[in-house]
Amino acid sequence: MNIKAEAKAKAGSQIKVITGNAAAAIGAKLVRPDVVAAYPITPQTEIIEQISKFHANGEMDCELITVEGENSAMNAVMAASLAGGRVFTATSSWGLVFMYDAVLATAGARAPVVMVNVNRETPGIIAVSCGQQDMISTRDAGWIFLIAEDCQEVLDLVLQAYRLAEDYDIQVPVMVHYDGFYLSYLSEGVDVPFQEDVDRFLSVLNDQPERTKLVPGGKLGCGTHGILGGYLELRHKHVSAMERSKAKFEQIDKEFQEIFGRSYGGQIEEYRMDDADVVLVGSGSMCGTIKTVIDEKRDAGVKVGLLKIRMYRPFPGEAMVEALKGKKAIGVVDRSLCFGFKGGPIYTELKAFETQLDGSKMVSFIDGIANTDITTANIGQMIDATCDLAEGKDVREVTWVSYPEAQEEGGL
Amino acid sequence: MSEVRFHGRGGQGVVTTSKILANAFARTGQFGASFPMFGFERRGAPVTAFGRFSDKPVREKTQIYNPDILVVLDPSQRDSEAVFDGLLPGGMMLLNDSDITVNVSHDNLKKLGIIDANKIALEEIGLPIPNTVIVGAFAKMSGLLEIDPCCDALQDYFSDKKLSANIVCVKRGFEEVKIFDF
Amino acid sequence: MTGKKKGKLTKVLDYLKHEDPFSKGVAFCPGCGLELLLRFIPQVLGNDIVITGTPSCSAPVLLGQNNQSWHTLSYFGTLMTGAAANATGLARYYRKAGIKNTVVCFNGDGTAADIGFGNLSGAAERNEPFIYICYDNEGYMNTGVQKSATTPYGASTTTTPFGTASKGKNLRRMNLALKMAMHKIPYAATATLSDLGDLAKKLLKAKEAKERGFAFLHVFAPCTTGWGYAPENTIEVCRRAVKTNYFPLWEAINGKIRMTKTVKKPKPVSTYTELMKKFAHLNEADLQILQDDVDYEYCMLGGLSTLEAECHIPESVED
Repeated sequence: MNIKAEAKAKAGSQIKVITGNAAAAIGAKLVRPDVVAAYPITPQTEIIEQISKFHANGEMDCELITVEGENSAMNAVMAASLAGGRVFTATSSWGLVFMYDAVLATAGARAPVVMVNVNRETPGIIAVSCGQQDMISTRDAGWIFLIAEDCQEVLDLVLQAYRLAEDYDIQVPVMVHYDGFYLSYLSEGVDVPFQEDVDRFLSVLNDQPERTKLVPGGKLGCGTHGILGGYLELRHKHVSAMERSKAKFEQIDKEFQEIFGRSYGGQIEEYRMDDADVVLVGSGSMCGTIKTVIDEKRDAGVKVGLLKIRMYRPFPGEAMVEALKGKKAIGVVDRSLCFGFKGGPIYTELKAFETQLDGSKMVSFIDGIANTDITTANIGQMIDATCDLAEGKDVREVTWVSYPEAQEEGGL
Repeated sequence: MSEVRFHGRGGQGVVTTSKILANAFARTGQFGASFPMFGFERRGAPVTAFGRFSDKPVREKTQIYNPDILVVLDPSQRDSEAVFDGLLPGGMMLLNDSDITVNVSHDNLKKLGIIDANKIALEEIGLPIPNTVIVGAFAKMSGLLEIDPCCDALQDYFSDKKLSANIVCVKRGFEEVKIFDF
Repeated sequence: MTGKKKGKLTKVLDYLKHEDPFSKGVAFCPGCGLELLLRFIPQVLGNDIVITGTPSCSAPVLLGQNNQSWHTLSYFGTLMTGAAANATGLARYYRKAGIKNTVVCFNGDGTAADIGFGNLSGAAERNEPFIYICYDNEGYMNTGVQKSATTPYGASTTTTPFGTASKGKNLRRMNLALKMAMHKIPYAATATLSDLGDLAKKLLKAKEAKERGFAFLHVFAPCTTGWGYAPENTIEVCRRAVKTNYFPLWEAINGKIRMTKTVKKPKPVSTYTELMKKFAHLNEADLQILQDDVDYEYCMLGGLSTLEAECHIPESVED
């Protein structure tokens, strides 16, 4: 308790009105990375421009590699990380896809890389617009996925990501996701921590056993042919580390609060959930709007709450079941698609826990694809439909909220 | 909370206008959020930006469909129906125009501010970029901000000579905007 | 250096100042040129190199299996797509951390000239501080002899097979080393296994050059299995490749090209092709096309190596 009080007294910060991208860049600066690899892509570009500026002004003492493509960005930071460095890179959409082989290799090598991915659509209809399909398409690459709701959380998650990735018991790369356009270009007040507090928050990493590093003359290799038992051993260790990361993330959130005074709740954030009968499950920037609509609905007597997913991989199944168990109805909002399941990807995954939810009914909402605005009206409609479901009315399982034609076609 | 929609063209500093205002609100202990309507950014193309300003944290992450205030940096859009779309009753409009005569009208419009921001900008910074003049005029017309936080906010976007010239722009915008009540 | 005259064998052995870090029996094909090269490099450069490798002929030996290894080098096994970027990450981190290092990015022609050329070119353009070695066996030998960009005209491979409607590869080869020299990097050179003294010198020059930036070595490394010649002929194949100007030996410092070995009376390319099966189906007219391509490349090199008299080549800017 004394430590807490002392920490709070020492903590300093300043409010800066900055974009989500600038928040990510400042986060990257504050962790003092050794190596940063950068390649531009809309809507991520501002991050690497800012970092390049910090570097050019001498504010960031890192090796800055202005690579010729995203694939090289990931390969460079993966290797630098395995050599022992703290690394950062950022991408979006097609960039994430272009580095996908290296994304998988990084996870398999257990390189504690931290990357920001600014969510943007990827399908072949070239959509320079927001959507989580890039995240969904890479969800089982073996990375820890975190999702931010606003610019403050972008910065805070970048800091927390290093505590998770470089933790000796975890050593898994972490991707921090946030919605392109909606957060990348949103300017709002962000409490920018002081360097000394960030140093203190990260200093725990210096006190743990040193991770294995690839050094000259070290008689050590990484990236062998893993076969049979050897391969299975490493894969199982990876899965186990991912499971451990759930509790670790909760613990990091608490320690973060002690130093910076902000807490988000760990794997999930619960908003007005305690006495809620119906719940919307969402992630990313939509959650801010959902909270506003929930407040209005609450004023009108509707017992509705929000479960915000902050950690998407590993999937926070246990935490979600604990929070959702016994609720009358759950509406899951997806900003992406999965094929063959009709409902959205997060809805489909939560469905796997249906038997543990003590009879909660579930519906899927698909909205926000390709920058379609998840408006307050849309959210109101989703809450109403979920309430109808709770009351036993007939509600269609899947609704494309901004595309009523989908319902008319009758396929879904 | 005030919801503000900005209309202009690429190169006028439309997005920066809303950013500076959000910055000024933050400096008063209030909250501001600004973001552009998404599209390809080109000089000369129509640009729309949004601003939410409030004494409570701004959580909404959507476009603005029912603005309280319109800010029109591009005079050629003054009569556009799209500009007035969704304006709430009691609404305000700030217009950048060399023509000071009141020739816009809308049922919900209760206050109009007009300023020749391009002219002032040309005089002070030598470029027809009206954004900082608009910031000052906005503060005056809306009554939501004092002049000081607006000038202070400029520090995050300009330095040296440009900073001092733009501070003059803000002040002149504040002082010279013509306000009409309906 | 050229003034000193010593017995050839002694001269090469003089360069081998370090131990052979590889175990005595490894999983290469008998007569493999790659094995000689791979054992040679750490003996010249030192056992403290950090070597990177990709899925390729080198992989079974370089990568090891689970926690077992064929060698004691510090090693990074990676993918063909981003090998040069991996080496970049290593070298940059070591530089940042103040760790003395020689990173050797060791790849076949499939990685260097085909799938990984983009990041090879990018690393060279950025003048990254490491040594890139391409061992060129003119195709994808590990996956069973498929054509690559460096597969020569007329060669029969499993993806350019000789048949009634095909004379093997119907395209001329890419000159990778010349392309790399045109990045104006501190050091680019060709070498082969019949001229080990030349190879050793170039390895050391590359090590010295990487202090100023990117160093590239293109090593002609024949494949007994994929090309169809007797295992004992590997060195002879190299020798004839040099003597026919099929694979000339040269170096380029900051883009300035210099021949390191001039063949006074080059033999016809047929004296090289006759050693192996991959060209066996070619008639005289087909061989002439290959000969013309060899002559063309040599002529181009000759022109570039005398450019100095014509124009000023700026020194590379040091980092």
